[in-house]
Amino acid sequence: MNKISSSLGRGRAVSAFLLSAALAGLARGAVPIGDSNVQIGGFFSQGWLYNSDNNYPAQDKGGTFDFREMAVNVSTTLGSHARIGAQAFAQRLGALGEDKVILDWAQLDYNFNPLFGVRLGRVKYPKGLYGEALDLDVVRPYVFLPNAVYSPVLRDFSASFDGAMIYGSWNVAKSSIDYKFFYGKIPVSPQKGVSEFYNDSGGLYAAPGVASINIKSVTGGQLTWNTPVSGLRFVYSYSFFTNLASDGPFAQYPVVNLHFNFPRLSYNTASAEYQWKSWVFAAEYQTTGGDYDFQIPIAPASKGKYGTEAWYVSASRRLNDKFEVGAYYGDLKDRYTSNGYHSYQHDLAASLRYDLTEHVLFKIEAHRIEGTYQVFDTVRTTNPSPKESSTLFAVKTTLSF
Amino acid sequence: MKTRIFRIIGGAAFVLLAALQAFAGPSLIGNKNVAGEKIDATSLKSIFLGKKVAWDGAGRITLAVLKGGPVAEEFLKGAVDMSVSAFNNHWRRLAMTGGGTAPKSFEKEEDLRKFVAETPGAIGFIDSANADTSVVVLTPAP
Repeated sequence: MNKISSSLGRGRAVSAFLLSAALAGLARGAVPIGDSNVQIGGFFSQGWLYNSDNNYPAQDKGGTFDFREMAVNVSTTLGSHARIGAQAFAQRLGALGEDKVILDWAQLDYNFNPLFGVRLGRVKYPKGLYGEALDLDVVRPYVFLPNAVYSPVLRDFSASFDGAMIYGSWNVAKSSIDYKFFYGKIPVSPQKGVSEFYNDSGGLYAAPGVASINIKSVTGGQLTWNTPVSGLRFVYSYSFFTNLASDGPFAQYPVVNLHFNFPRLSYNTASAEYQWKSWVFAAEYQTTGGDYDFQIPIAPASKGKYGTEAWYVSASRRLNDKFEVGAYYGDLKDRYTSNGYHSYQHDLAASLRYDLTEHVLFKIEAHRIEGTYQVFDTVRTTNPSPKESSTLFAVKTTLSF
Repeated sequence: MKTRIFRIIGGAAFVLLAALQAFAGPSLIGNKNVAGEKIDATSLKSIFLGKKVAWDGAGRITLAVLKGGPVAEEFLKGAVDMSVSAFNNHWRRLAMTGGGTAPKSFEKEEDLRKFVAETPGAIGFIDSANADTSVVVLTPAP
């Protein structure tokens, strides 16, 4: 079965590479269609992952080509102030994503003036420096954003929400403050990566795992201070979910249903970025947390606390038109449980990017990962005996147009 | 020997003059319908970062930029305090996440000037030596 799956994966990867090569010749950047205001853009990437010891972030021990992303967007302006657009997106990260096309964002944007605008529809979720640009290989040297803050397993949970956002920008002396406030709902399902958090062996649910997940609402905001110092900005992001609830077969007694709920789960992210000459320095600190309750039939409800604390520092440098290098160190840990190396993850990464053309790039990246926190053992990504440390290699090529 | 030295100095002076002539400095240009719009350094920055999308009386703003080169580097450093690379990344991020309509980008200044001249609400920049009467040259208030 694994061999068949592996062959299919390689076949898709070869097809994807050929498609990439074909499109590379056509790529001319996001451009209008004729004299209209319609713009089309997108990207396609194909990668290869190898982990020496653990299947993290996907089933990649021994190497896999099941690592790709693709998107196409179309947008146009309506009158002087309005804009409408949408982006289709598909990804595969090991067993996650399965190349299924989803609606990444689709929105109507009305910008009254620089101080105030409104977006309605499926809107990108602002969190941290790079939360809205999770998939944009073209704007960074890294294959993976620091996992401590931007878990690739949670991509489908952190990308966008259905609802409304207001935004704007104030100019204050020689600086400016950008704001975004939003309310909506995040579409989730047991097929998405977030369910890996619930399906980890020894956790809540028996195989095959959680049967339903829902979120009542997500509310949040982001403030960005573009300081008077050239290239320096500070960002603070806050958001919280209400009633993040799940149901499925209880791990201890699979014949009964376990209902698990976070009445409120919050994210706090403080970020700083400094662009100086050809360098980009960044640092982010994030905490997540909330109380939860869980219940099985004929038993009293139980309560507990969940939370993580994470930070990273990164530095990258554009060497010339062709090459860019970067490195980061990230730290992620469980705030409430101490179980040796199972409770933390330290990640040291180094990346090299090569731009073949304006539209085609290649990246290679190495990680040394200590600890196994969020290295899951599930039906989709197996890790029955995770090793304390592992080395991850990632290679990726991206075509953007 | 003297003749050879004079030739070398003369050749170097010619190359230097040609280089100076080749780049007189960036000029902000607009379609003639934006001639009456008030622009200062702050609003210019808002326009090129995609925060201000419409003129007060001239409809939607359409941005036109050069893909690269010294004119683009100097203009963008002065207008938005960014390198061409940082500016491109800023707009890639906006365009690919639904945050804005990407500027029209041009390899040649002549093509950019023609586009601005023919597109109501358009604004862009070229070498000042290449501006002509088909567009208005805009001078932002300090």
